Amino acid sequence: MRVGIIGVGCSKFGRRDDVTIQELSYEAVKEALDDAGLSRNDVDISVVGSVNTRGYELMPAVPVNEYCGFAGKGPIRVEAACATGAAAVYTAYTSIASKMADVAIAIGVEKMTEVDTATSLAIGGRGGNYLWEFHQYGTTFPAYYAMHASAHMAKYGTTEEQLAKVAVKAHRNAAKNPKAHFRKEISVEDVLNSRYITYPLKLYDCSPISDGSSAAILASEEKIRELGIDDVVWIESVGYASDTSNMTRRESFVGLKATVLAREMAYRRAGIEGPIKEFDIATVHDCFTIAEIMAYEDLGFCRKGEGGRLIESGETDLGGKIPVNTFGGLKAKGHPLAATGVAMVYEIVKQLRGEARELQVDLKNYRGLLHNVGGTGHFAYVMVLRR
Amino acid sequence: MFIESRELLMKHKIPVVKTERYWKGLEEGKVYKTVCKNCGEEYYPPIAECLCGGEVEWVEIEGEGVVEAFTTVHTIPAGFEWYGKPYTIAIARFGNVRVMGWAENVKVGDRLRLKTGKDKTGVWKVYFEVV
Repeated sequence: MRVGIIGVGCSKFGRRDDVTIQELSYEAVKEALDDAGLSRNDVDISVVGSVNTRGYELMPAVPVNEYCGFAGKGPIRVEAACATGAAAVYTAYTSIASKMADVAIAIGVEKMTEVDTATSLAIGGRGGNYLWEFHQYGTTFPAYYAMHASAHMAKYGTTEEQLAKVAVKAHRNAAKNPKAHFRKEISVEDVLNSRYITYPLKLYDCSPISDGSSAAILASEEKIRELGIDDVVWIESVGYASDTSNMTRRESFVGLKATVLAREMAYRRAGIEGPIKEFDIATVHDCFTIAEIMAYEDLGFCRKGEGGRLIESGETDLGGKIPVNTFGGLKAKGHPLAATGVAMVYEIVKQLRGEARELQVDLKNYRGLLHNVGGTGHFAYVMVLRR
Repeated sequence: MFIESRELLMKHKIPVVKTERYWKGLEEGKVYKTVCKNCGEEYYPPIAECLCGGEVEWVEIEGEGVVEAFTTVHTIPAGFEWYGKPYTIAIARFGNVRVMGWAENVKVGDRLRLKTGKDKTGVWKVYFEVV
């Protein structure tokens, strides 16, 4: 049974002092329904992805679902840290593939800016194994990735300049994305001169703390034919994996094993052998600049250790062999945790339909790659989308 | 316009009955891992039940370790303001296990020894000393 994406929506990411979590959700849901040409009554089940450990609404699924007009239809609440969005899409996908629903909506929403930064860091730092990590050592979420950066730099000679180039590319793209949190281009010097958040990561190596929502409407092939929709982006394959909660139980800090496992599953199922040649567009999980470098390697765009040179080559820029994160990445569009994975679906669908305006890539294969990581490789989802 | 939420403070009582040996060990200057007597699997952090069903024994981690990753945290999370300055977290390999601890002036590849100590908030933890 093929499952297709027939409608997508995404709110403006950023500091959204003007809306509550449910009001924010509806911005994406409304756009997705309009995009699909459906009414809320056409949806059989809703999946609400929200981490929301920073929000005042600790159990947000029902308020979100009610506000969006889906009371009585779900919701299934999903949480997979920063991979919550992809997990929500996967849940919607399986509910259709298992014939439990014909039309499902995956909503990803996060309000992150209602608490102060120190509190936010203390919550993100709990995204491992609290008692053995944060409690004793004050691990922050940036700190987990910074430890990976230190290992990568020591083993492969990756430099802070190379990391900075990931941020420069992200900001250059985000400047052209009206949904992005940051709309200003930056230079390598800006990144290198910014203050350390957690060595070796500096302010501009880190994604911002953002609010945002996104939604994707999925349907069975049969239903899509019945609705008479002929412009569909299909979910060709999904790979998923996880890894240990404790960093000390990992075998290596130069990559994310969960990404490798999820990639192997997704590529095998879709028959992908040469990702650079077979994808027109890739969205990778660049919550920090080092994360994009590791993703290049773990997704097979280059050999392990060569990620720094790949960003320098310009081949992941718009116009390169494999444009990565043309939407500005988590790094500059923003990373409202649960909204991120569904927003990647939004961005890939826009690209594969040729609707990405100034950020449009050349379409040859009509295939896009999605890579969404939860925590520091605690979860990983890789999806292949094809129009 | 904003409405301020009612304050919610959470402080949890975390059961450490099954890993009490570890926490008591820190107070004696010892860092324990568990090793399964049946399959030989080594656990750090220690767990009291091996997934193979075998019985575990508590073994002190000794000797020198090698730093595999580290970071110095400059933007301090809530709960660590008391330290008053950046702190460095490192992960070092000691034989078959890796240990997290606080360190000073380390880099990847440095050789370390373990010690334990109590911080200002009364929490016992691992501190590394560069050899």
